[in-house]
Amino acid sequence: MARQQGWFALILSLAITSALWLFVISPGVDLGLDLRGGSQLLLEVQPAGSITKITKTELESVKSVLDRRVNSLGVAESTLQTVGDDQLVLQLPGETDPSKAAEKLGKTALLEFRAQKPGISEEMRGLQRLRSQVKSILAAKEARGDSDETSIDPEAFAEAQKALGLEGSAGSEQEQLEQVLAKADRQFADGFEPAAFNGKLLTRAGTRGPTEQSPGWAVTLSFNSEGGDKFAELTKSIAGTDRLLGIFLDGSPISEASVGSQFKVAGITGGNAEITGRFSAEEANDLAELINGGALPLPVEILQVRTIGPSLGAENVQRSLVAALSGLALVTVFMVLIYRLAGAVAVVALALYALFNLSVYSLIGVTLTLPGIAGFILSIGMAVDANVLIFERIKDELRSGNTLVRSIETAFSQAFSSIIDGHLTTLISCAALFTLGTGLVKGFAATLGIGVVLSLFTALTCTRTLLRFLMGYQGLRRPTNFLPQRQLPTQSA
Amino acid sequence: MIALQLSRSRRRVWWISLLMVAFSITGLALSWTNPAIKAPLRPGLDFTGGTQIQLERLCEDACTPLQANAVEAILGEVALSADDTTNAPSLDSARVQILDGGQSLSLRTPALSAAQSQEVIEAVTPLAGPFQTQGQSVDTIGPSLGSQLLLSSLVSLLVAFAGIALYISIRYDGRYAVLALLALAHDVVIVCGIFAWLGLWIGLEVDSLFAVSLLTIAGYSVNDTVVVFDRIRERQREDGDLPINDQVDRAVSATLTRTIYTSGTTLLPLIALILFGGATLYWFAIALALGVIVGSWSSIALAPSLLTIWSGRPRASASA
Repeated sequence: MARQQGWFALILSLAITSALWLFVISPGVDLGLDLRGGSQLLLEVQPAGSITKITKTELESVKSVLDRRVNSLGVAESTLQTVGDDQLVLQLPGETDPSKAAEKLGKTALLEFRAQKPGISEEMRGLQRLRSQVKSILAAKEARGDSDETSIDPEAFAEAQKALGLEGSAGSEQEQLEQVLAKADRQFADGFEPAAFNGKLLTRAGTRGPTEQSPGWAVTLSFNSEGGDKFAELTKSIAGTDRLLGIFLDGSPISEASVGSQFKVAGITGGNAEITGRFSAEEANDLAELINGGALPLPVEILQVRTIGPSLGAENVQRSLVAALSGLALVTVFMVLIYRLAGAVAVVALALYALFNLSVYSLIGVTLTLPGIAGFILSIGMAVDANVLIFERIKDELRSGNTLVRSIETAFSQAFSSIIDGHLTTLISCAALFTLGTGLVKGFAATLGIGVVLSLFTALTCTRTLLRFLMGYQGLRRPTNFLPQRQLPTQSA
Repeated sequence: MIALQLSRSRRRVWWISLLMVAFSITGLALSWTNPAIKAPLRPGLDFTGGTQIQLERLCEDACTPLQANAVEAILGEVALSADDTTNAPSLDSARVQILDGGQSLSLRTPALSAAQSQEVIEAVTPLAGPFQTQGQSVDTIGPSLGSQLLLSSLVSLLVAFAGIALYISIRYDGRYAVLALLALAHDVVIVCGIFAWLGLWIGLEVDSLFAVSLLTIAGYSVNDTVVVFDRIRERQREDGDLPINDQVDRAVSATLTRTIYTSGTTLLPLIALILFGGATLYWFAIALALGVIVGSWSSIALAPSLLTIWSGRPRASASA
């Protein structure tokens, strides 16, 4: 009895937690693009030049470059994920015209080194300061997660806006800051001469840990022989002056460095260089990754573009919801008609099953797509199977003259082996599908697999605990609640 | 309880299954020899690669119903611009389907870039537009992705088969594994066969969702068969002295109600999906429903009746 109460408490608390999680705490279940509309692009990084096989390293570099480009598209909640060794999936919710995105992503990243124009160092330093200030304010805002709190000296800000010709611009502080940054970036970029050379001459960028002479991490650059010569020439021309060396990716500045006067005679020779600064390991790594991505002339091929209009997505949600609910309703009617009290218990267990299922989706971040919903609907049907197996056994036991309570206990232990076999074989195929399948198949396998595991739990514990609990009430303990009178043997207990 | 005497009518069971399999294989073979298909099933966009553009017309009043060949004629004249990575494909082979009584159209073309698909949409707009931008969808799948999908579906199907066979031979014995796989192959072939015939008659194409449904049918079919096998094993333990035919008959009779109810409750949500699920899931749900029906047949009738001809008294399995 105590054990049974323990189960009961466990199930009840699980149900309450799931409901709270699903409806109060978490924002709900993620919907796939086929359910809310938007575009999805599948990209493949192609080997080129000296790189004959794409590995994780190349993929990550390309991803970091694409991340920047995607961000510049300004699509909210866009995600870019790596798939396997050489593919990337980009999701653009709400974007129904992916041609702009496709065009931007398809270009090979262009890394350039440029020298600053002479005679404007004062101005450039001011811009440099302004940019780093605005960037740190924006970063702090993002870390805090607010966008309203004023965190900048209004007078100085107004002055900076005026200097950039942005006075009186509208919008929230966040937007104004972004405008200032964009304008400052543009003016800063204009302060450089045309590209001296591009990333094709760079063989590799890496990082180096802190040493005694230079605390902080550094980014190392290696050039091929042509690149080494050009780099020496470029650095010689600006060494010891106030002019900066700018590193540009796709036309926008990602980093700048000054060149010490000791390189005045020959420039930085030998085909290697270091960008020092007060980099953290992570910053140095990010910069190296960006430079690598820009330097790797790897073409990106668009394998697949899927676009679903938002109204089509909403219609899909509505239709599958109707199908799921009417499926559940039909099963409810069926179960109660056939199995009476036990059927009603099974329906409660099914409802719990559906609740657990949705909260697991939301907990582990399953993105619900159309095939996912189909897997869910199908698993409802399969979840009923375990209950049917048990209830049929109860009927058999009652017919052969056993008492009700004993029939229930025997039924559970007898049905156990076929329930386990049935569920495990389905799980085996889910595992095969999940590990070997791609996108669509994977999503379906995940939802079906979760469903199978949960149905095992609800059938074996929820149904059993609820039935035992109800059998504690004398008034309910009648075999006719499980089987019509005429089917009972005459010596019925 | 229904006392089913399966062993008496087992010849009839085999004939029915044999005829269904023959019908299916004929469909698959006809489809393969059909010059327009050249595959056992008519492959859809997911497997061949290409672009599918679906457009919903925006008609203030009743606009005149479209003619497919008028749209095709326009497409034949479109000169697509080439971009850096892809050439401009020709649209001569493009297929046009008019849906919803002339209110929607679906265009199937070789794989296009996003910009090229936009050009196609612009080209047909004067004739068929304006279109509802909210309801349109563009799918582009590169040919290499198509073969990748096909391969990964086939491999996962085979691995799933092997895993299931291994599990059953451990839990039961090799004979059960062979029969469960036979029943499974029977179910999968029949569903494929019906879709092959549908491909010949109404041009139905199979997509990756169909592959998903086959995998589910495989799982369901084995699940169903295993439950019946479990009962047969139980009978063998308890009525060991009875002839195998009677043991199987008793076991099948005992699980018959359960099999029918379970198929029923699995079919109910599928029927709801067929009725209300919309076009995307319509054929997926039909494939699954067919699989459930054929799967129940093979687990009630085919697999147990085949078990009875396995010569001699089956060795009682050691594991419980």
